[in-house]
Amino acid sequence: MARPHRNLVRDHGQDLRLFGTPAARTGLVAMLAVFAVLPTVVREDFWLSVLIYVGITAIGAIGLNLLTGYCGQVSLGHAFFIGAGAYCTAIAGGTLGLPLPLWLAAAAMVGAALGGLIGPFTLRLRGHYLAIVTLGLVFVGEHLWRNLRPVTGGNSGTSVTASTALGPVDLSRIEVAGEVYSRNQGWFWLVWALVGLTALLAKNLVRTRPGRALQAIRDRDQAAEVIGVRAGRYKIAAFMVSSAIAAVAGALFGAYQQFVSPDEWNLLLSIQYIAIVIVGGLGTIFGAVLGAIFVGALPALIDRYSDVIPGVQTSVGGDGFISVFALNQAIFGVLIVVFLVVEPRGLAGIWLRIKTYFRTWPFSY
Amino acid sequence: MNRAALTAALAALALTASCGGAGGDGGNAGAGAAGAPAAVPGFDGTTIRLGVLSPLSGPVAVIGQPLTTGNKVWFDQVNADGGIAGKYKVELVQEDTQYQPDVTVQQYNKIKGEVAAFTQVLGTPSTLAVLPLLRADRIVAAPASLDALWVREENLLPVGAPYQIQAINVMEHYLSDGGGSPQSVVCTMIQDDVYGEAGQAGIDFAAERMGFAVANTQRFKAGTENYAGQIQALAGEGCQMVFLVATPTDAGKIWGTAAQARFAPRWYGQSPSWVGALAQSPLAPYLQANVLLAAEGTEWGDTEVPGMQDMVSRMERFAPQQQPDYYFAFGYNQARAMTALLEKAVERGDLSRDGLLAASRELGAVAFDGLSGEYRYGPAESRNPPRSTTIFRVDPAKPFGLATVKYNITSPAASAYEFVKADI
Amino acid sequence: MTALLQNVFAGLSLGCTYALVALGFVVIYKATGVINFAQGGLLALGAYLGYTFSTSLAMAFAVAVVLACLAAAVAGAAVERIVLRRMVGQPPFAVIMITIGLLFVIEPVITAIWGFENLQVTNPWNIDTVTVGGLVLGVRDLWTIGLTAAAVVGFFLFFRHSDFGLAMRATAFDPEAALAQGISARRVYAVSWAIAAALAALAGITLAAGPGGLSPSIGFIALAAFPAMILGGVDSPTGAVLGGLVIGLVEALTRGYQDHLFAWAGDNVSVIVPYLIMILILLVRPYGLLGTRDVRRI
Repeated sequence: MARPHRNLVRDHGQDLRLFGTPAARTGLVAMLAVFAVLPTVVREDFWLSVLIYVGITAIGAIGLNLLTGYCGQVSLGHAFFIGAGAYCTAIAGGTLGLPLPLWLAAAAMVGAALGGLIGPFTLRLRGHYLAIVTLGLVFVGEHLWRNLRPVTGGNSGTSVTASTALGPVDLSRIEVAGEVYSRNQGWFWLVWALVGLTALLAKNLVRTRPGRALQAIRDRDQAAEVIGVRAGRYKIAAFMVSSAIAAVAGALFGAYQQFVSPDEWNLLLSIQYIAIVIVGGLGTIFGAVLGAIFVGALPALIDRYSDVIPGVQTSVGGDGFISVFALNQAIFGVLIVVFLVVEPRGLAGIWLRIKTYFRTWPFSY
Repeated sequence: MNRAALTAALAALALTASCGGAGGDGGNAGAGAAGAPAAVPGFDGTTIRLGVLSPLSGPVAVIGQPLTTGNKVWFDQVNADGGIAGKYKVELVQEDTQYQPDVTVQQYNKIKGEVAAFTQVLGTPSTLAVLPLLRADRIVAAPASLDALWVREENLLPVGAPYQIQAINVMEHYLSDGGGSPQSVVCTMIQDDVYGEAGQAGIDFAAERMGFAVANTQRFKAGTENYAGQIQALAGEGCQMVFLVATPTDAGKIWGTAAQARFAPRWYGQSPSWVGALAQSPLAPYLQANVLLAAEGTEWGDTEVPGMQDMVSRMERFAPQQQPDYYFAFGYNQARAMTALLEKAVERGDLSRDGLLAASRELGAVAFDGLSGEYRYGPAESRNPPRSTTIFRVDPAKPFGLATVKYNITSPAASAYEFVKADI
Repeated sequence: MTALLQNVFAGLSLGCTYALVALGFVVIYKATGVINFAQGGLLALGAYLGYTFSTSLAMAFAVAVVLACLAAAVAGAAVERIVLRRMVGQPPFAVIMITIGLLFVIEPVITAIWGFENLQVTNPWNIDTVTVGGLVLGVRDLWTIGLTAAAVVGFFLFFRHSDFGLAMRATAFDPEAALAQGISARRVYAVSWAIAAALAALAGITLAAGPGGLSPSIGFIALAAFPAMILGGVDSPTGAVLGGLVIGLVEALTRGYQDHLFAWAGDNVSVIVPYLIMILILLVRPYGLLGTRDVRRI
């Protein structure tokens, strides 16, 4: 009996599967394999720490993409929620000594609560007005971090001594069959497992009823209300979910770095997140992760190989006219511009095009 | 916690050793009798590599660049003289931190496998961010800030009198030579961050000891464009003396605003507030009349102090484009302390990380040829930083715009200041 | 009383800088529907050009100011021509990000050319003051207020009464109808950018001629002008000037009375006061004081 083509979808159940095609399943297996094996191959602490920061950023970017990419609410205040998560961990994980799942949950709850507090602004403000009000949030936040001394340690910042034990396993020192894995390796697994989890949650959120509601609001909010979507509620809910995810990213950031100071949660961080979402592709979960890898790893790459790029000054008094940092910053700016002008759908759009090309090969046009 | 840190450190060491392939882990290689130190991470038998984590670009590069040049000029001279203990050359591995803690952590991880120690980590937030890692990896680092937090940290090798000491000595000078009395209206104007709070802590300590009160404290956010409000408040309070903790850009604006408001108290500035260019600006007459600076060592180009002569001639030789700069001198001193540590380690025949930590515990007093007070190292709990401060006045004719008013003040209160181990 | 007036004067001077920057925001927004985050970059660029003309090339200060404003205007128009024209018709959010990208490009360019050091701009004002009835007024502040007033009046005369101003207003009101009337939208866009850049440059130079000199962080002041623009209403030039002055005054007064009235709110609350005022006013009037309420159709 002739078998149907592997790409043929015959019922709703099949259509809903995330990894339905053999190619997708191969991809999943490959990703899992990379996840498991990478830290044992790349043992350099530099690359591991870069990848850990990238993973943390990816989590935060997924959160922002839910709000900005799916619901169309531009927020420049993401850094505020990330900072809140980090300080929350300093207390929940450090002072109270809660275990890992609990301090992550505590951060998420604080994030959601703060999001619920800010969310109602979206009911009255739209577009540019909302962007600038959330920009104000970053400055108000910085003021709070500097002045709420008992919680944040004021200007000196605070150390974060959150435990990283998951049941009997301490992630900062995993022992399996006589082999000992370092803190950075353990953290890589923790962070990227959470990236996978967050992505899965977000994906399921956006392809079900709430997700469709968000997209309807993004495309035309009044029309959405006419067909029965409670736009106000969904906007606030989107803000809460997005801030909760941001706070989780902040919690991981603080716990990994073990020290946080009020200078870190600035406008630049917010802009970086927006840039990641754009470079990755607005309104795609996969894109947020791609964007984080791209924006996070590129400076590290440039930095690592700066000595072979002509014209770059790598040391004081060395040759070259532009410093690594200035070059990175300029490239970052150019990237945003180029992506928006040339490929507004971002990296995810490019990926989709490649995929479509091969799926319909040799009849692609 | 300590045990966990230790085991993590061992794991990290085993890892770096296995992937670096340099052979020998930090724990026991070459320890023991004073022979030639064995090759360890950061030392291949002939060259010692030291890390520099500094903002080489961005707004704080004005500090990071001269400081790193200071490190470099000192080691250039050491290398020209044959190297550490006459035979081991020093090479610096510089990484740009952009003054951001997370970038500092990444850069630290990037080079920690190839350096024996860090001769510079600039910035209090950056140092705090790498401190847990330094403890875990058992690496020694020299922080480039005069924060009092560092004195009692085993993994850190600070130099210079901390900001608190500078502030206390300023009050000593004001009350004894500067025309002030405990009844004078003493005020402070500080940058709203850790650096500002360190100066404030010193003044508060002095107030308790010397029996005066701080009438008013104005805090400002670095990089603000308008200081009229703060100056009005200080003038309204009738301040006769104002202790300023700022960086040059803000200090220029603050003094300019004060000059415009015809507010002329006795200003004392913490050393980082000054930059030579201020003496050439239109503000110079006001500064000459009203401003004194507290710093270490002596005026730039002072021929009486041999250390200064050496430094200036070495700077002309190895970094002719460098302008006179206090941060340069700081970096130079820092490198000298690191050199003392390395020589001690070579003497002990062990340049490994544990060897350097042990050497730091055994390191005695290090003198800085008059550029900074003698620092008594040793076990972290018994270290004694220098307690002396020099007061300068503004003089546009001098190379750095500053002339010595009173060399090396050490007030009893400064000597009595206790450095406690902070919970960090 | 003197202290109060002194603070008010400081607030006016600061408010004028905000007003110039906010007016630039509004000019671009009205013509092209874009909030220009690169305004701070243009401000810094203008200030550094002013430094080059006045200090490096030792020109007369007035000439240097005019040249710097012209050069900045050319740069602004060039940015519009090369980058933003390609974005016509794209969603506004994407265009905002483009301007943020531009900001990231302008900054390293400035530091690569002029370095990170603090520079002193040769200027005729320095720290001179005049005393009027017990008040000590900085000459630079007086000039800042005077130049701002002149620029604002000049702008409104141009905008309300010249043919090109009419073209700008028409394009802002309805680009397609304006196009049908033979107005070149392209020229309107380019001129808007040029005007905004020149206003920013003027703000930059008057700031840099102050006692603190010039450093790359000068562009940050544009961030504080955002609340000014939003407060006045994003599409109202009058609102921008009003908003700038209000924000400047409130900031200076909060700062001046920090010790007496605002100690409870934490140190340096004046830094965030502009944002707090903005948020409060937007809750009552979501389109700012003088902004147009947009009519939305399904």
